[in-house]
Amino acid sequence: MMRTSAIIFVLLVLLAAAPGPTCAQSPGETDCKAVTELLEKQNRQLSAELRKVRREIAALGARMDEPGIREVFAGIGYILGLFGAAALVAARRKG
Amino acid sequence: MHISDGVLPVSVSLGGYAVSVALAAWSARRTTSVQLPKVAVVTSAFFVASLVHIPLGPTSAHLLLPGLAGALLGPVAFIAIGLGLLLQCLLFQFGGLTALGANALMMGLPAIACGWLFQALKGNTHLRHAVAGAAAGATGTAMAAVFLAGFLAAGGEDFFGVAKIAMAAHVPVIVIEGAISAFTIGFLFRVKPELLETGLVTPKKEIHG
Repeated sequence: MMRTSAIIFVLLVLLAAAPGPTCAQSPGETDCKAVTELLEKQNRQLSAELRKVRREIAALGARMDEPGIREVFAGIGYILGLFGAAALVAARRKG
Repeated sequence: MHISDGVLPVSVSLGGYAVSVALAAWSARRTTSVQLPKVAVVTSAFFVASLVHIPLGPTSAHLLLPGLAGALLGPVAFIAIGLGLLLQCLLFQFGGLTALGANALMMGLPAIACGWLFQALKGNTHLRHAVAGAAAGATGTAMAAVFLAGFLAAGGEDFFGVAKIAMAAHVPVIVIEGAISAFTIGFLFRVKPELLETGLVTPKKEIHG
């Protein structure tokens, strides 16, 4: 028990001592430019992606407007049911 | 080929409803209980046929089948088409509820006419049946296009302009429907010729030994 906790402690110490992300100690101006460039790049990527998603949503909306298999079977069911009811009435009247 | 809500003036919509209700009642009175299964099957076929799209370059048209329904059912076709259109309107959002009467007339009157045409043309041979079926199928769609132009003319459009556009858009549909009707009726003539009677004669009962 003592040994495992000691090992964990040592590991933690090593982790803490590990070198952090090396930051370029450049003057503020170049740093600002790099950040702006990065942001612009991300912005372009995001808007391209957004356009794609918008197109997909429009396509989905168009596809949802057309009737699917469910509507077809519902309609056929209605037709057969109505004519079945009509046949029932006709048979009752005859009998 | 469906008229949407709000295209027709109120008077035309109401008139269409009145005439089509009267025709539906007349049609229903002519239906015998023996015919009911056949009417149900033709109604289902008519209902589903509107989903069969024929791609035509940038646009597409769909099958209508008033001619085939008329050839198979005769005067009873009106009630089949009325019911089919009602369900298409409710489930597929084709056409509008207020224009349903006009739509039923637009498809139902050609169907009844084609029923008469088919009964007049059909002979006793397979070929004549197929030819009569093709004529009924093609005429039904063409007449529906003319009726469409007529109804839109009542709404203030130019009759000949709309008629020309509707005809041009439906030429491939007319050809395809003629072919489908010829094939269907030829097939039915071989397999079950009693289906092609008007239904005024009840089929003879066969005794199976």
